[in-house]
Amino acid sequence: MAVGLLKKALPRLGLAVPAWPGVRCMTSRLYGTAAAQTQIHQPDNSVGSDKILTEPLKHPDFFRLSELFSLKDLFDARVHLGHKIGCRHRLMEQYLFGCRLEQDILDLDQTMEHLQQALNFTAHVAYRRGIILFVSRNRQFTHLIESMARDCGEYAHCRYWQGGLLTNANVQYGKGVRLPDLIVFLSTLNNVFQQHVAVRDAAKMNIPTVGIVDSNCNPSLLTYPVPGNDDSGPAVELYCKLFRMTINRAKDKRRQMEILYGLKSQND
Amino acid sequence: MSALCKAVCVSKRAAELARIPCRSLLGFTKHYSSGETGETPGNEEGTPPAEKRLGGFAAAFELHSDLQQKHDIAAATVGKTASSKKKQSFAYLLKHSPLVQMGTAKDKVAVGKIFHIVNDDLYIDFGGKFHCVCKRPAVDGEKYQRGSRVRLRLVDLELTSRFLGAKTDTTLLEADAVLLGLLESKPK
Repeated sequence: MAVGLLKKALPRLGLAVPAWPGVRCMTSRLYGTAAAQTQIHQPDNSVGSDKILTEPLKHPDFFRLSELFSLKDLFDARVHLGHKIGCRHRLMEQYLFGCRLEQDILDLDQTMEHLQQALNFTAHVAYRRGIILFVSRNRQFTHLIESMARDCGEYAHCRYWQGGLLTNANVQYGKGVRLPDLIVFLSTLNNVFQQHVAVRDAAKMNIPTVGIVDSNCNPSLLTYPVPGNDDSGPAVELYCKLFRMTINRAKDKRRQMEILYGLKSQND
Repeated sequence: MSALCKAVCVSKRAAELARIPCRSLLGFTKHYSSGETGETPGNEEGTPPAEKRLGGFAAAFELHSDLQQKHDIAAATVGKTASSKKKQSFAYLLKHSPLVQMGTAKDKVAVGKIFHIVNDDLYIDFGGKFHCVCKRPAVDGEKYQRGSRVRLRLVDLELTSRFLGAKTDTTLLEADAVLLGLLESKPK
């Protein structure tokens, strides 16, 4: 609801319209808002600006992200290793290749597809100048994730999550605060092995989420779950590298397209 | 990191490989004087005279690091990397991975690398999902620094247990291993 009000008050925020099939206007899906549909105002309505935004949507892999990773890279980074069978979450069974000596093995073929979709979505959000927030409560990788976020010009929140960060943002941060357009979870669990509060809150606030789900995680509330290992160093380093390269690629592409269509870029 | 595990598992196979004359990519250089000459022109060593024979595990480790280097160099020069990777499916990679070839983790010897130290606690990564934490031993304590390679006897890959009244296992997010000592054969 707050997001709808934010958009009505400040239509020039230019919040990204995600490339969800068949969803043009988000406010029509928010509970409690009236039937009035807020038009997503673009900075200027010229043909060039339209081309910049519609051109990437015509290609299945506009940013050529499939060349960033391969099955072997995922395998060498130990992405396929899951937890023991006793820790398994029932909803993760569809992503498992099998169980070997009580250790779950994730199916990397499925992971490849999910990762491709997740990276593609992230690239489109970054292309449209969306705000991306990286969240993880795994203390071992806090520094790595924060420096990766800084390197690609996005945001990270790997510390204690206060309850109302997303749902009570107007009170906690003042009016007119812009919420993230995408939240990427490099681990969806918090330190007591419960689902991170941000997963539920992002779903409440209609913020799409990308999340690496291990065999003990619940994938149901995430928009783009990626079954994979979230505990090993090489795996998390690989994810960080992939997200950083994706976002940088998308931003570079945006600059190229703007030059191509002769528009001056507006600084946020 | 999985290359570290491979050293243990191929110790039997290494002996077989040494006797098979090399065909395409692999040239044996220092330790095997069984008359095999590498077919690749880049083998500058030639046939060396018989040198000091290393023990079983150390020999396997040396062999495997040589094999890996030769394979990487040859694959890079020949340029078959892309096609050879594409042919291997996930099932193939998994079946031939050291983790699966090893079998049960109990009482297997592996080579690990220390990646973090907190006073006397050594955090060692041996190629599994989790790392293990071992106490610094009294013997040669100062030699255990970040980046040191050590030998471990694995006990468990993940310490989990189902407690009374719980729905799922509680996991410690750690593996369990006994520290045997430094990897002696590697000159520092």
